[in-house]
Amino acid sequence: MERRLLDGKNIVVTGTARGMGRVMLETFAKNGANVWALARIETQEHLKKCEEISQEYGVEVMPLYAELSDPDAIKTVVNEIRKTKMPVDGLVNNAGITYNALFQMTKMEDLREQFEINFFAPYLLTQYISKMMIRNKKGSIVNISSTAAIDGNSGKSAYGASKAAIIIMTKCISEELANMGVRSNAICPGVTDTDMLSTLPDYIMDIQKEASFLKKIGKPVDIANMAMFLLSDQSSYVTGQVIRVDGGMTSYNKR
Amino acid sequence: MPKEGILKKREVDKMTNLENYVQAFCETLEVSEEQLTGLKYQDVPLWDSVGHMNLIARLEEVFDIMMDTDDIIDFSSFEKGKEILGNNYDVVF
Repeated sequence: MERRLLDGKNIVVTGTARGMGRVMLETFAKNGANVWALARIETQEHLKKCEEISQEYGVEVMPLYAELSDPDAIKTVVNEIRKTKMPVDGLVNNAGITYNALFQMTKMEDLREQFEINFFAPYLLTQYISKMMIRNKKGSIVNISSTAAIDGNSGKSAYGASKAAIIIMTKCISEELANMGVRSNAICPGVTDTDMLSTLPDYIMDIQKEASFLKKIGKPVDIANMAMFLLSDQSSYVTGQVIRVDGGMTSYNKR
Repeated sequence: MPKEGILKKREVDKMTNLENYVQAFCETLEVSEEQLTGLKYQDVPLWDSVGHMNLIARLEEVFDIMMDTDDIIDFSSFEKGKEILGNNYDVVF
């Protein structure tokens, strides 16, 4: 049987109910990983999807549910993971919320919510999970940031700042955890075709396509494939990096 | 007789926990048992910030617990660690 990139690895992924997280769940399972599939709310659809993926690819898919704005809920989920006694090889902090508002129109409560979900929650989860990785002297942490965190776009001051925070966390812990065998990298997706994007009008989509060297919008699987590489042993010499997956959009802007 | 038996078992558990605790320190920080009394964070080269996380990871595994960040920060000596594990995580020494 052909060896798959994540064979035998056990991966925690947040935000698997939809969008990129859902595609990551399937991509990782397809490539041999057992996955703890975190989502905010338990639904029949999510449970069924986990079961189907597990059956199809012959791996374990363990659905877990937590409201990430609640630190106790995060702790409970980590305890569930610990109880399985399976080593954790990878963590993908994917769950996030988006927000668009001009700087002067951004309410402090909305700013706080951005940081609660996009930064504090992955920070706490990573604190817990990285300790489990330290025990095994290996692990890969992948944080999903955004090109908005690097470029800074109108309307993205709150969202971009929360995603920029996770880039700094990624870089800091990559040094702190390096000699314990744990790597940490961030992915910055550009415009990617998920539910979040479906509300944008066609003309905006056309502008985004034009701004990309590859003249297309990214697919969730493009992000999932990069995450898979970073989780795999193929990237064993890669840590502390911030990798754009944007079809060359930055390069276009720099011309 | 049964009561005595239970007490004896507890004594054995206490011994085991203390032995495990001592062993975690000795192996993670590469110190001898004689050095443990009064040993504080950063007293020996291996008990630096990295060593501290290795020690915490080892203790979490040994005692099957998940320590809070506040306790990890407060864990400043051999004795303080015992106090934290005893008071907050029901580890009987």
